[in-house]
Amino acid sequence: MTAVSQSLGRAPARPGTRAPRSSALRRFVRRRELLLVIITVAVFLITDAVNSGFGTGGYISFMLADAMPLAILAVGQTIVCLVRGIDLSVAGVLGMVAVSTGFLAQDHGASVWLMLPLALGMGIGLGVINGLFVVFARIPPIIVTLGTLIVYQGVQELICASRAVETLPPMYAKLGNDNFLPDIPYMLVPGVLVTVVVALILWRTAWGRSLYAVGSNAEAAFRAGIRVKWVLISAYTVCGMLAGLGGLAFLVHYDSADSQSGLSTSINLSSIAAALIGGTLLTGGKGGVVGSFIAALFLEVTIQAVIVLGVPQVWDQAAVGTLLLAAILVNRYQASGRSLSQALAGPLRSRWQPGHGGAQ
Amino acid sequence: MFSLVFILVVELLFFNFAVSSFWGGGWGSSVSMLGDGENFLFTSMIALGVMFVIFAGDIDLSVGAMSGFAGVMMAEFHLGGMNIWVAVVLAVAIAALIGLIQGLIITYFKLESLLVTLAGWFILQSAALAWEGAVPPYGFPKHFDSLLGTGTVAGTVPNQLVIFAILALLATLIVHRTRFGRQLVLVGHNRDAAGYAGVRVSVTRIRAFVLSATFAGIAGMCIAATYSTADDNLGPTLLLPAITAVVLGGVDIFGGAGLVPGVIVASFILGWLTPGLLQDGVSDTWASIAIGVLLLGSLTVKGITDRRQGVSMLDRLRARSATATPGAPPPAPDAT
Repeated sequence: MTAVSQSLGRAPARPGTRAPRSSALRRFVRRRELLLVIITVAVFLITDAVNSGFGTGGYISFMLADAMPLAILAVGQTIVCLVRGIDLSVAGVLGMVAVSTGFLAQDHGASVWLMLPLALGMGIGLGVINGLFVVFARIPPIIVTLGTLIVYQGVQELICASRAVETLPPMYAKLGNDNFLPDIPYMLVPGVLVTVVVALILWRTAWGRSLYAVGSNAEAAFRAGIRVKWVLISAYTVCGMLAGLGGLAFLVHYDSADSQSGLSTSINLSSIAAALIGGTLLTGGKGGVVGSFIAALFLEVTIQAVIVLGVPQVWDQAAVGTLLLAAILVNRYQASGRSLSQALAGPLRSRWQPGHGGAQ
Repeated sequence: MFSLVFILVVELLFFNFAVSSFWGGGWGSSVSMLGDGENFLFTSMIALGVMFVIFAGDIDLSVGAMSGFAGVMMAEFHLGGMNIWVAVVLAVAIAALIGLIQGLIITYFKLESLLVTLAGWFILQSAALAWEGAVPPYGFPKHFDSLLGTGTVAGTVPNQLVIFAILALLATLIVHRTRFGRQLVLVGHNRDAAGYAGVRVSVTRIRAFVLSATFAGIAGMCIAATYSTADDNLGPTLLLPAITAVVLGGVDIFGGAGLVPGVIVASFILGWLTPGLLQDGVSDTWASIAIGVLLLGSLTVKGITDRRQGVSMLDRLRARSATATPGAPPPAPDAT
């Protein structure tokens, strides 16, 4: 009884209905994004005040470009999180695409525009594999993607075969690091484009709404006529596709790739952290990609600030881990609709009173 | 269980015929095969620890990083002038404490164990890297390296195998012969039912996390002794084989069902797979791909057999999400 009513009472405002337009979901998303922008700007200004080199144009455009591979991955990760999934294999897809396209560019001088469909296609293929395992083999997403992560990284090493991508056509470095407007790098274009397009798809299309429906309550979505299996597979496919695009962005930005690309950086954890910091819940049905994009910028600014302020770089993974913990705590409070102090004391107080603390 | 033993026997027979040096030169001379144990027995120890957490329906992704961190901790304590055995005990105790903290965070704030331990993994890995500095600490006393690492009993049985046997026996008894073990399985099977039956669900889950961290800490000591250096970057390399062993051993990944001996046998199947393949001329990369494929394959088979038996995935997801969903507000009074 408790179990059933809990799952029913979890998300009072369902997206997609016409009446509650300014539903809890929308207000929640809006607030989180604003909060993140304010925190990011604050971190930036404080660091700039302490270390004046931080605010110069070169650093800003570097950070914008540097955050884009992560931002693109975070958008894909968000889509999977919306359907109650998680994708740990994005780093494997990123690495595999980066070395495949990198070697083609290095050995045959292929242009970025030729590599774009290849990167997207590879990502789609690898994403479909994840989706099929999740839906038809009925394995939890965390285990599926942990397994495919290892397999994809193995394939990445096989492709490399102790070589590395080092010399690329000059076009790559130009796209990856130059600005087309003052302080606005080329890299920002794919990141913003992906975020805006996916955000519109999530808000305005039937497929986008069905992601929220499946994530909120898969059974209800199924009874409502949504093809749940298809939605799940397509979510992992789109995530894989964006991870492939992220791989190309990674290659272009770093102008190199090797067998450790994606593995050695904390981009896997960071993409999950960005999605959750952006306000998306791992339990599905709530969130959006704009928050994830801003959260990726937030993570980038924070890590760079930590480095600029003199903390050794080995701590950057710990910083991301700590921010992830903080984000899931805040998400939990906001979902429970209680104030911070109530929520902190809540688990103890409400232990023997199931009805306590709901809609206060 | 019997199918697992069968797989193990087939695997060993295959390597016996395919790899001439696998048994150290022929059937009966098992020195080489037993000696390979020092390359995987610590993974088996981690698998035993993670098994407790999976039994309870949670997951612990921090174990690999935990063993690396424990190794660095022990090494730094020792190089700082502490007696090696005091350092070992202290490092394992601190690892257990970190497991306790993770368990407390997960149960008190009702957070996903997946995320908390993922964050823990990265924090521990950073901490280990930062602590050890530029050069990983190395140089332990001979008797330590020998006792926990490469030494043998009477020239044949590796010390690590003895340690593992003790831990395996302990784990089997804990899960299958104690009150705590039965409660652990019940909590994983149905958290609500366990709660209504008077089981202290949070305490049980926290104990599982403490056990997991402790086993990871002990494994970290064995790794440090085997390689005579503290390796900080073991998270990704040890985590997957450990979870694969648990799942291959027949423990339900959603918790609440499984046999410890199955995990033990499965960890040997996996353990000998890599050296067997390596000696068979297969590259390291292919060996790790094989483990990933094995994990997905064994779970796919299990998923399909479950479907044949009429266990609906929807039912299992429902049972799981209803209890494990953080952020679920209490039921509304009118939700009839």
